[in-house]
Amino acid sequence: MAQIDKQQPAIAEEENGKTAVSPRTFGRILGILIILLLLIGLFPNLIPSGLNEKFQTFVTIFLGIFIEAVPFLLAGSLVSGLIEVFVDKASLARYVPRRAIPAAFVGALLGFAFPVCECGVVPVTRRLYQKGLPVSVGIAFLLSAPVINPVVLVSTYVAFGWGPVLIGRFVFSILIAFIVGLIFQFAPPEEILLPVVDAGHEHEHYEAGNGRIQRLWQAMNIAGDDFIDMVRYLIIGSMLAATMQTFVPQSTLISFGGGPVTSVIALMVLAFVLSICSTVDAFLALSFVNSFTTGSILSFLVFGPMVDIKSALMFMGVFRRRVVLYLILLPLTLTMLITVFINLNLGW
Amino acid sequence: MKQTVKVILLIALGLFLLSHLLNGTLSFYIHPRFNVLTLLTAVGLTALGVGYAVQQRRQAAHVHDDDHEHEHEHSHDVSWAGLLLLALPVVLGLLVEPRPLGASALQNREINIGNDVSLTSASAPEGSELNVIANAGERNILDWLYLFQRSSDPASFDGEEAHVIGFVYRDGRFTDTQFMVSRFTVSCCVADAAPIGLIVEWPDTAVLTPDSWVDVSGTLQARTFNGVTMSVLIADSVTPTETPSQPYLYQ
Repeated sequence: MAQIDKQQPAIAEEENGKTAVSPRTFGRILGILIILLLLIGLFPNLIPSGLNEKFQTFVTIFLGIFIEAVPFLLAGSLVSGLIEVFVDKASLARYVPRRAIPAAFVGALLGFAFPVCECGVVPVTRRLYQKGLPVSVGIAFLLSAPVINPVVLVSTYVAFGWGPVLIGRFVFSILIAFIVGLIFQFAPPEEILLPVVDAGHEHEHYEAGNGRIQRLWQAMNIAGDDFIDMVRYLIIGSMLAATMQTFVPQSTLISFGGGPVTSVIALMVLAFVLSICSTVDAFLALSFVNSFTTGSILSFLVFGPMVDIKSALMFMGVFRRRVVLYLILLPLTLTMLITVFINLNLGW
Repeated sequence: MKQTVKVILLIALGLFLLSHLLNGTLSFYIHPRFNVLTLLTAVGLTALGVGYAVQQRRQAAHVHDDDHEHEHEHSHDVSWAGLLLLALPVVLGLLVEPRPLGASALQNREINIGNDVSLTSASAPEGSELNVIANAGERNILDWLYLFQRSSDPASFDGEEAHVIGFVYRDGRFTDTQFMVSRFTVSCCVADAAPIGLIVEWPDTAVLTPDSWVDVSGTLQARTFNGVTMSVLIADSVTPTETPSQPYLYQ
């Protein structure tokens, strides 16, 4: 997300301003939680041994998810750093078609050109809008890019291999992004986008020099900012997931897994709450394989990258509130329709 | 100041990954096929840290650009709570002794004890018949479960000798002379760990410590456990053993 660094403070303000909890309170809660975790780690004898075992399990699963995810996050950060420094975005507009259907389609496939995951896609979209990208293209890009990119392709393949999950994830993500983009084609941009507040704020932070080596260092620094920025979401996400795995018996999940509709709802809610980065959610979804149908797992893998708690908050930095609501509800409805249909009729 | 902390944290995370890779405890967390990826990540994180340090020195050399620099510092303002969060994996990893998943994690999961229960989706690769180890004494728990799964009659394994390693697990379904010798299978990381096990008949089960690793030798016999007929390992000997360096089994 730091590849467009000048927007970062603006987005952070949006994010903080529009949440009920102030950043300071959030920081304090987070600080207390972290200190509590460290205390348990330092003095394991203070807590009952049953809980101690649970804590050990929590730490092992947390580190497992985290260590697994870090390489993919790092790769994404490096790519976005390189893009920021070496790709000329101004020339992009020339390649984007103006007609509705091709435009939305191009937007849904733009992720291959800008391999960013859901944390990075929001500021990129915002910057592209400032360069005159049509609203529909940007929305299709925003929704599909977290899945339609090489890194996620590889990680999904590594986790699930060649099969319905991999193919379904990519086909349905493109389809839903395309449809939602097309819907927004007919709305005037000023009703969709927030007014650009920081237009006079243009300056380049990383203008250190023009030599190739120096630009490489620039890219590294942007990648570093990007990594540090996103790894925090990853750590919180891994902790939430590890907590779930440690304390919620799988039988609870399995009881949801029974119904073709309830299982889809359960996994979509889970995807929204966990806010796991799309580069790693396939590995997490792997742990559901025993309890859920392919259709339900697809609902997790298609909906999760499009919309979750952290990306919905970041959307508020780009779009008007009503539009953010539509951006949550439209993918939700479409994903549900498709995956419940699969559960009921195809029996994958 | 915060830039310096970032440099330290990035390099610390890289070293953390590297040390786990070198002392073998990385396999407590993820599948060994990611070892190379983890090594590259450790190198990459260190490089990012060095990149920050270089930038810092360069900025210190250009003191004339004071205003700009201040703004820069501000624009990447990660809160201290955020930096503390970044330190959390390393600190927790250092404070809590690395240990593979054990009996405590098993309570929350569906246990696979062979027969009609199917292995996980990633199970039974094509042509896995070829992979079955001919020597019964060298088969691990997963190999046995593959065999059980393929056969409809648990009694067909009666009298076969088995020798497996796993940790001790018991719950309310087990009688005083029964326990399960258990392992976890892992496909990617411990988040997808699935427990498997063989039921063992052993008169001295009471002296075994739950969650401790044991080396079990005996012969298979079809018995009824919890209302289901399955192959049960009638133990000749159960001896405590060290936690294996590869605690999980890979499908």
